[in-house]
Order: sequence, then C-alpha cells, then structure tokens
Amino acid sequence: MKFRSLLGAALLSLSLSAAAQGNLEVDSPAIAALKRSMQQRHAQLAPLYASGAVGLAADGSVALRDASAVPLAQRAQASSLVAAENADRSALYREIARANGRPEWESEVRGTFAQRWAQRAQPGWWVQQGSSWVQK
Amino acid sequence: MATDICRRVSSRPERSGRGRVWLRSCALLLLLLLPGFGTGGLVLTVDRLEHPALSFEGLSADFSSESRPSIRFERLRVGEQRWRRVELHCDAGGLSGARLWCRDGRLTAGARVLLPGRIDLQADLLGQHVALAIRLPDGGRIELGLNDARLEAQVEALALGHLAALLPGLQGWSPAGSLGGRLSWPLGEEAVFTGQLVDGAFTSADGLQAGEALAVDLSLSLNERAGGWHWRAELDWHNGAVYVDPVYVEARLGVSAEGTLSADRLDVVQAVLALEGVEQLALSASIDLAEGRLDRAAVSLVRADLATIGPRWLTPLLAPAAGERLWYAGWVSGGLRFEHGGVQALDAVFDQAGFSLQGADGGSGLAFGPVSGHLPWRQDATVHAALEIEGGRWQKLALGRFALNAEIRPQSLAIDRLRIPLLDGALVLDRLTLQRDDRGWRGRGEAVIEPVSMPLLTEALDLPMMSGVLAASMPGLTVSPGALELDGALVISVFDGYLQLTGLRVLEPFGVASHLHAEIEGRHLDLAQLTETFSFGSITGFIDIDVQGLELVRWRPVAFDARVASSPGNYRRRISQRAVQNIGSLGGVGAVAAIQRSLLGFFETFGYREISFSCVLRADVCTMSGIGAERPGGGFEIVRGGGVPALNVIGYNSRVDWRELLARLQRVIEDNASPEVR
Repeated sequence: MKFRSLLGAALLSLSLSAAAQGNLEVDSPAIAALKRSMQQRHAQLAPLYASGAVGLAADGSVALRDASAVPLAQRAQASSLVAAENADRSALYREIARANGRPEWESEVRGTFAQRWAQRAQPGWWVQQGSSWVQK
Repeated sequence: MATDICRRVSSRPERSGRGRVWLRSCALLLLLLLPGFGTGGLVLTVDRLEHPALSFEGLSADFSSESRPSIRFERLRVGEQRWRRVELHCDAGGLSGARLWCRDGRLTAGARVLLPGRIDLQADLLGQHVALAIRLPDGGRIELGLNDARLEAQVEALALGHLAALLPGLQGWSPAGSLGGRLSWPLGEEAVFTGQLVDGAFTSADGLQAGEALAVDLSLSLNERAGGWHWRAELDWHNGAVYVDPVYVEARLGVSAEGTLSADRLDVVQAVLALEGVEQLALSASIDLAEGRLDRAAVSLVRADLATIGPRWLTPLLAPAAGERLWYAGWVSGGLRFEHGGVQALDAVFDQAGFSLQGADGGSGLAFGPVSGHLPWRQDATVHAALEIEGGRWQKLALGRFALNAEIRPQSLAIDRLRIPLLDGALVLDRLTLQRDDRGWRGRGEAVIEPVSMPLLTEALDLPMMSGVLAASMPGLTVSPGALELDGALVISVFDGYLQLTGLRVLEPFGVASHLHAEIEGRHLDLAQLTETFSFGSITGFIDIDVQGLELVRWRPVAFDARVASSPGNYRRRISQRAVQNIGSLGGVGAVAAIQRSLLGFFETFGYREISFSCVLRADVCTMSGIGAERPGGGFEIVRGGGVPALNVIGYNSRVDWRELLARLQRVIEDNASPEVR
C-alpha cells in the first residue's frame, strides 16, 4: 500500500470515527508539509516495517524494535530515520489539534491515530499492543 | 582420615592469597596417607572450600581402579559464575604410582554438557606437576600446565560460543569469534595474559547493542592482593564496528586501564581511552558484579574536536532527528559523574565551538559561534552557566557578539537577560524561564527588539532599500512544545507610516512544517515611497493595510484576509500611467478592461479619489474585491478616479492564482527596475 493511500485511509477512518473530536481530516499548509515529508520518508521506512526492524508503537510513534534486521552499519541511519519520523508525527498530531482550534486535543489525536495506524498496518508489519509486539 | 584432615583444613580458609597453600597441603596429606599408592586408587571427598576467586561444596574424586575415574562438585563457583552438579567423567584414567590421569574426559553440569570436547588430565602428585588439555570439536584447544608453582596456559582458536555455555551471563549476547592467548602465572606473583580476539561479534536480542568483525588485542596482568586482585589492562580494538543505540562506532580505540577485582566488585581505578578526535578521555568506575550494577562512574574529557565527535556521538544522542543538518566546529572538554543510578553532574567547557542547524527546508537556518565558556548541570543543585558567543546567524541575519548567563537547575533554566545584537539594534530577552517535562520545553519571558534601522535590515535580507526602523515590545513570550508565542507588538516605522504586527506565533519552529502567524495593521504608508521602492510606477497618497490571519510557511504567505485602502485625510492623490499599466499587468491580459485606454497615451498622471482592494488567500487562490459592491455587469473598482484627468481601474478577475500573481508582480518590478536602453 502506498503511503498516500495508507495515510488517506487512516485519516478517512479518523474523520468518521472521531467526529466528536472534530475534523481529523482537516488540512492546512503545515499539515500538507508534514504529510509530504512523511510520504517522502515512507519509501525508506517501508522496508524496515516489512523486515520487522521498525514497528508501529502504541503511542502513535514508530520504534526501532528489532535492529538486528538492519545491517550494523545502517542501524544509526535507521535510528535517525525513526527519530525524524517521530518528530513529524508529533508535529502532525499537534497541527491537527491546532487546526481544529483545540490544541489540548493533541493526546486524543495521537491516541486515535495510533489505533488507526495499527489497524491499517500491512500483513507482516509489527504493531505494539500494550507493552508487547504482535505481527499482523 | 585423609578426608577428615582435608575437611578441617578447608573449613578454615585462610584469608587472601593462601588458597594454593591449603589445596597443595591437602593433596600432600592425601598422598601420604594412601596405603601403597604405587598400585592403588584414590577416593577423595572434600566438604567445602572457599576463596574469593573460587569455591566449591561436595567435592568427590574417584580414581579407584574399580570404576572409570570421575571428579564431581555438588556446587562450584568460579568468580561469580555458579554451577551445580559439575562432573568430569573420564573414559580412562586412574592412579599409576604418583601419576594421576584422566583421558577423554567430558565436563557436564547436571544433564547439560558444560564444555563440548574432551579433556585430558595428568597430575604428578609427588612432583606437583599438573597438565590439563581441553580439545574442542571445532579445533579449539586450551592447555594448562602447573609446574614448580608456575601456571602456564595457552588458548588456541577458542570459540567464544563455548564461553557462553560456561558463563550464563554471556548467553543473552550471542558471542562469537575466536580467542587465542597465553597466560603465565608464577603462583603468588603477577599473572600475565596476552591474547587476541579475531572475528568477534555479539548482539543483544533486539540488536540495539551489537558488534561485528571485531579484532581486539588484549594484555592483562593480575596481582593478588588482600581481598582480590589488582589488574592492569591494555586493549587495542583495531578492526570491526559496534552499534550501541543510537551510536555507531568503527574501530579504532585504545584503552589503558587498571583497577581491582574481588568476588563481587570490579573497580576501574583509571582507564585512559585513545579515541579519534579526542586529546584525552579518562574514566573510573565501580561495578557491583553480584547485582550487575554500575554503582559509580566518572568520565573526564579533554579537548574533543566537535567536528569529529559531534556527528558521531552528539547528534545521535541529543538531536537524532536533525541528522546531517547539524554541524559542529571547535572543541569541548568536560566531565560526567554517575552515582546512585543516574547522572549526578555534567560539565561542558567550550573553546571556540560552533553549532549550525540548517533549515529543514534547506535554508541557512540558525548558527552560533565561536562559543566559549562553561555549561554545568547538577542533579541536586542550581549552577551558573556562562558562555561568550562571538556571533551567529539566523537565516540571512548576522547576529553580533553576546554573553549568555543562565542559572541551570535540574529540570529548568533561567536567564535574567540575554541581549543579542542584531544589525544596529538588538533582540533582548528578559526574565526567561524554561522548564523541561516529558514532552519538551515550556516557559515564558519578555522580548524586546531594540530599534533596527530598516536600510540595514532590508539590505541584509536582499530586499529593496527602505527607510525607517523596526522595533518590538513583547512582554508575553511563551514557549511550549512546538510553539513560540509573542504577546505584544512588533512595530516597523516605514514609508512615513507604520506597520504593527501582533499575535505573533511561530509553530514547529525547527521542523518541516515551521509556520508563522500574525496580524498586521499598517497605517498612513506613503505610496510615493512605496511605489518608488518597489519600482511600480508612481502613486502619490497614503494607504492603510489590514491583514488578518496571516500565515507564513517557509516565509511564504499561505493564508490571510488582507485589505488595502486609501488612508483618510486630505492629500495629493495621483497615479502614473506606468502604475496604471502595472496594475493592469497584474490582472493578466484583459483582466483590467475598463481602463480608459484612450486616455492613457495622453497623460503621464491621473487623479484618483480612492484606492481599495482586498484579497482573501486560501489554497493558493486570492479572491479579490474592490471598492464597494460588485459593479452591475461584473467587475470591481480598484481605483476610483477623481480630478482631471481621471480614470477608473476595474478588475474583472476576482479569483487569481496566488503564485501566478506573485510571478507577475515580480516581472513588473523587474521590468520597471531595468534600465531602458535605446
């Protein structure tokens, strides 16, 4: 699944399920910039999701859960990629809350996104449930 | 009787360093008490033996002629490793004269094979010579010989995987590689081991700590002291790489260290590390081996080259998302103290250091340096940081020399005043306090921009030259994760009027979605100066500007509700032929159709009564309107004529592509600014 359709599906389901929280499909130039940045990075992250090196964490972030799936010399790069993705994800959750005029909703947005990222993960990807990791 | 004597001797272990004496005594007593030891066997039991490095309970050795020889320990401890039911089974062996021997022995612990391969043992009980050889199935070999109170050992191609079977603590690390070396130990004197690890590797279960292709040369000497050992080690790591999340390091590293070792504690009195880019790195540590816990450590760093250690060590640890956007220069020295399960103190002393963060959009970003001074931190105290920053840069703006003095507390910092020179003015932060929580930094303070002259500012920003000054007073500065908000006003006195910016907010300032929000109120701006500055023809008069909900992403407007209108009052109102044509050009061909074209050729300037237009920018489209309501038949007045000669400028295209509008404006300015060559 391409990143755009993955994110789109997550956002669509968010807008339907989380109507009480406002419009999570809301768009703004900042949100668009974050989506573009995450979309560009997805090409590098996708093989890491597939190999199980990186998983979708329960708090809406991504985590380097099995670094041994990455050649040793590339692990620092993978770690940096995960950090950059998490910086964008945190900004995305803040921006969606701001775009709804409710910056205090950030943690709710994060939690809802975490659920949807997990639901939309491809078979074979790893998803954190509680404190343990489960392969879809 | 022999058993009784040994039990008595071993149940009263002498303190430190005498272990070999009572073991030897015991063996001699046994030997002397054996009836006719030239032809018989040996059956030995020892209840218990204690030594800092070794202890056992329930030793039984059976070298009688009736059965295959064996040695068994109910409990055995070597260092901190403990096993139960350790047994050496010999395929053949016995006691011939004073020679005790075991051939093709196998070492097990319960049902588990403790060490694969076979063991040969020979002991001359009279001459006190012992030879032990362990042959491993993969070709590895360990040989031990005790002759005349001198222990010699040689290790060849010992696979570290075998050690993991012996040492449970290693099992979670999947050690691999081949170890070779030689030990020489005149008992009671210094023991020296020199060895090499080849093709070494290890990994934690999650791969976050791992090493590959490791080659290490090690030299270790040990001297028995009261309660343990004093050791010295030289280590040269000269091949391979290690990843300790999030840091990846390739060889090479040299370590020279010494310390003490007891049954339950390893003390590193001093270790000096030779690391690329570091003049000197030294540490000391104390490790509780029983608990596997670092109790205390101290690290001292002298003159580290930030350009070398910054990308390798600092970026992954401090700003991993910044990646290659973060650059370093200069030197840092420092220290760290670890105690009570956490870092207690940190000190960094910068010498001509430089830090630069490139913008996420590829822009020039933010830079400071050279920076010199002391930045301390204590877990349990307030300390003072003092840094001298000789300059800096924010985007295209050069920052002058300034001093940073801050009170650093465990989870917060306070700056009483920070004055950063900016061209001929300054940015001043007063009473700034910042607290760190699990989401980032929060805080508040006050900000002032001391007047900056517009000619210098516009020159620095590569803008057309403007006169006037820029100043700001923002008593409410608020910092929260991902946001910087300024309550107050930034005022630019320009074109004989002013622009006032309020509601300033910078969101996600260091990310790809960095954006700025503001409200702008402009009053009585001199159109003659404005149009001359931007080479837009000539318009005399004054305008007011109101921009609501301005949002800039990467310094480009993406949303606003703007209105420009003639200022109230009596003043001369003329618009030049060129300005009229330029307004027409902005609307595109035919967009401004109602200009009285026939008049244009005859007059250089025209009178007007009012100029007014608005633009609502959303999604790259500017929705325009003019003076009053839309005209019957369509169109909206931008310029309403007045006086003689007069003309009206009417726009018909109310939805304009913003990027196209900017491109046209750029072309108009460039065309008008270019010298005309005839």
